[in-house]
Order: sequence, then structure tokens, then C-alpha cells
Amino acid sequence: MTENVIECRSLTHYYGERLIYENLSFDVPKGRILGLLGKNGTGKTTTINILSGYLQPKSGQCLVFGEDMRSISPQTRARIALLIEGHVQYAFMTIGQIEKFYSAFFPKWDRDAYYGLMEKLKVAPGQKISRMSCGQRSQVALGLILAQNADLLVLDDFSMGLDPGYRRLFVEYLRDYAKAESKTIFLTSHIIQDMEKLVDDCIIMDYGKILIQMPVDKLLDSFMKYTFKCPSGDISALDAADTDKEVHHPSITRGQAEMYSFLPEERVLAMLDKAGIAYNGFEKTRMNLEDAFIGLTGKY
Amino acid sequence: MIKAIFYKEWIKIRRFYPVCAVIVLGFTLFSVFRVDRVADFRGVEHIWEVLLEKDSVLIEMLQYLPLLCGILLAIVQFVPEMIQKRLKLTLHLPFPQNRMILLMLLAGAVALLLLFSIQIIIIYSYFRHILVSELTSRILLTSAPWFIAGMTAYFCTAWICLEPTWKWRIAEVLTATGLCRIYFLSQLPQAYDGMLIWLLTITAFTLMTPLLSIWRFRQGCQD
Repeated sequence: MTENVIECRSLTHYYGERLIYENLSFDVPKGRILGLLGKNGTGKTTTINILSGYLQPKSGQCLVFGEDMRSISPQTRARIALLIEGHVQYAFMTIGQIEKFYSAFFPKWDRDAYYGLMEKLKVAPGQKISRMSCGQRSQVALGLILAQNADLLVLDDFSMGLDPGYRRLFVEYLRDYAKAESKTIFLTSHIIQDMEKLVDDCIIMDYGKILIQMPVDKLLDSFMKYTFKCPSGDISALDAADTDKEVHHPSITRGQAEMYSFLPEERVLAMLDKAGIAYNGFEKTRMNLEDAFIGLTGKY
Repeated sequence: MIKAIFYKEWIKIRRFYPVCAVIVLGFTLFSVFRVDRVADFRGVEHIWEVLLEKDSVLIEMLQYLPLLCGILLAIVQFVPEMIQKRLKLTLHLPFPQNRMILLMLLAGAVALLLLFSIQIIIIYSYFRHILVSELTSRILLTSAPWFIAGMTAYFCTAWICLEPTWKWRIAEVLTATGLCRIYFLSQLPQAYDGMLIWLLTITAFTLMTPLLSIWRFRQGCQD
């Protein structure tokens, strides 16, 4: 049986009158890298805040290593490394001071992991974090997380503010580390290209709900983009034929139709026939994660 | 871990604290030298006369200094924790959260106590040479509420700084202003003699208020 590091059950949360999500449930299995994807405002940071114990959901429960996050013990907190959105750290400290401070709290502290990364940045121990670039600060935050040697890494929007070079460095370093050390990672990012290189599984959220949770490979193998020319310029009949809403975001622009679906090609063609939509030049395209995300959530 | 907590607090205040100490001690020495000059020109008898016949303890210029020190020290210590919500980092450390905050407050309170103690020693050391013990006590007892106000202001400012929402923060500023005002209601010497224990009780109560802000932060209260 798969051991779950994170178990969230029936989470419901509101900000004032605004519903963020209702009855949201998901698990993160041990040793997997799971990415939470969603447009702005769908509740990614809210989920991270609930997961890290900084937000009380209106209802539901989040267990990490079997403990409720609202009353998690310091011993369990030592097993969780947290990266706050924007790579927030104690900017008033220097590279050396922050290492000295954190090392006192973590029994499995790996000093070499931290200073190994700092050497790559070519920064001196006396350099103040507030005087570093956003990219350098991200590496300091990453170095501290790696040195904690935690069993679970929770990373909120890790790619925010990073240029492509630092993003690549962060992703590659993190993936190698997680795979070599069998760590579990739960993360969010706005930049989905990075997620594709990093995550094993993904959860795609839309406003108020989870659309899918599955391994990225399985998603990319089964969720397809279908395009065709539609001489009539109208595919509205598809809505009536697709009673189970198995086709996502069908649209047509200047006679060129596109839609996304988990259905195999034959089923989509049958659906078009049933709806009486004339078509030609029908094509099935395998997508990358970003396109699959857009296919599921829509462009707007 | 406790050493590391104090180490972080020291990093935050290490530039402010020496400057604050120099200013506080400068003012304290200045007020004492001012009395000393008057004693030189007009005789110690004149000092006695002023103390006994006028409602003055001669060091009134120090009245609001502890209050100001308390407010500034709390700002220096706790504002950096709230910038970019760094408090999340602090509360995520594997250490009991309330104990962590209380230790941070203890670090600041000890730093303040040290400053106030040096001030009191300077005042006591000077006045005991020129005054009888009753008059020295009169000066120290009159100034006691000022120092207690400094500690109260420190805890209240920590409470305000750690509060996650502006609406509550404004309400807390008003409450804290009201509480601190209590310590300065009377300008008469030894007006608070019978009330010092109650003033200390208020201070002890305010020590717990930052924990309310922490509780609200953990509940996810935000603007």
C-alpha cells in the first residue's frame, strides 16, 4: 500500500463570502514530486498556507506525516522544509549567520549541502542576503532547504522572479536531490514549463475544485488536442452531443476548430458525426504540460 | 536552539542597541550634570528646596525616554519578522511557537532592563551623595512608572507589529496608547507609590498580548 506523506480531506475555504474551494481532497504519496497547478486565484497559495499551518480552513483536515497541521509537533516540523513564495528569508542576516542560525534547529543539518551551493554562486559568507539578487536569494533559500535534510519539501511558487538560468539551476538541482535522497516534494509554480521537467504527478485546479490528479506522463499520453477545419464555422451543436462534457473548451476561429479531450480519436470523431458537424483535416496532437493545462482550464 | 533564538535577536538589534544606549545614557548623564551644575552654583540646599517645595524630581526630561526606547526596540525586533511575512519562517522552526515568541520578547526585555538598570544606577549613585535617602527614594519612586511604561510600551509595540491585519492593528494602537497613558496620568512626585504593583500587573498582562497576534497569524487572519 502506498504511504501518503500528505493527506488533505474535504477542505473547504472561503475568504469572506468568496468560495475558494469546497470538499477538496488529495494525497501526496511518499517519494513523489507533486505539482499543484492552477491559474491565479484558484487557491494554490491558500492550500500551501493550510498545509503549512498558517491558515485554518473553514472545514476539512490536512494531515502531514499523520499529524494534523493545526497542532503539528516541533519534531514533525523538523521533517518539513518550507519555501515561502518569493524565496523569503531573513534578509537582515549574512550567508554565514543564517546557516549558523538554522543549523541549531535541525538535527540532520547538512552544512556541506548549503556551502556547496553557495560556492557555485561565488558568494562570501559575509555577504548580506538583502544585498543579493533575486536569483541568488533563491539559491540561498534552496541551499537552506537542502541542508535541512527534511523528508518533505513544500515549495510555494518557487520560480517567481527567477530568470531562465536560475530557474533551470533550481529545477535540476532539486530534481537530482529529490530522486537521489527519495524526498517527497509538494510545490506550486506559475511557470508550467519548469514543472514538466520536475514533477512526477500533478494536480490541476480550477476555481473551486480539482480538475485532475494524475502522473504527468499519463496526462500527456492521454489528454490530446484535436483540431480540424469546420466549413460551417459553427460547432455549437457539439454541446448537445457531448452530454458528459468530455470535450474541453471547444472553440473555433476563422473556420479552424480546436478542442481538448481524454477521449480517443474515434470517440471524438463519432461525437462530431453525432452532432452533425462537417469537418476535414482532423488532427490529433500530443501536448506539453503547459498546453494540457490550458486545454483543461481554458485560456481565460 | 535558545542560543540561536537570542543570536537572531542580537543580529536584529545590534546596530540600534548601542546607538540607543549611547543616547539614553547621554540624556541620563546630561540630566544629572545639569543638577550638579545647579548644585555647584546655588548649593545643594537649593536642590533640597526644589525637591521639597516644588513638585519636581529634577530629572523630568527622562520621563518619556524609556517609553521611546521600548517602542523603538520592539519595532527594530519585530518589523523585520513581518516584512514579507517572515514570521512564517520563525513559526515553522522546530521549536514550540509560543515559547519562541516569549524568548524573543525576553531577549528584548533583558536588553531594555539592562539600559534602565544603568540609568537607575547613575541616578541613584549621583543623588545619594547629595541627598538624604528619603529624597533619593522620592526621585526613584517617581521615575519607576516611567521605566515600567517602557516595558509595557515594548510589549504593546510587539503586539501591534506582529498583528497580521491593519484593522486590528489600529485598535491595538488605541488600546496600547490608553494603557501607556495610565503611567503618565499624574506629574506629582510619588503619585503612583501605592499603585506600582498594579502598573506591573498591566505590564505582565501586556507580555501575553503578542501571543494573541501570533494566534491570529496562525489562524490565517489577513487584510
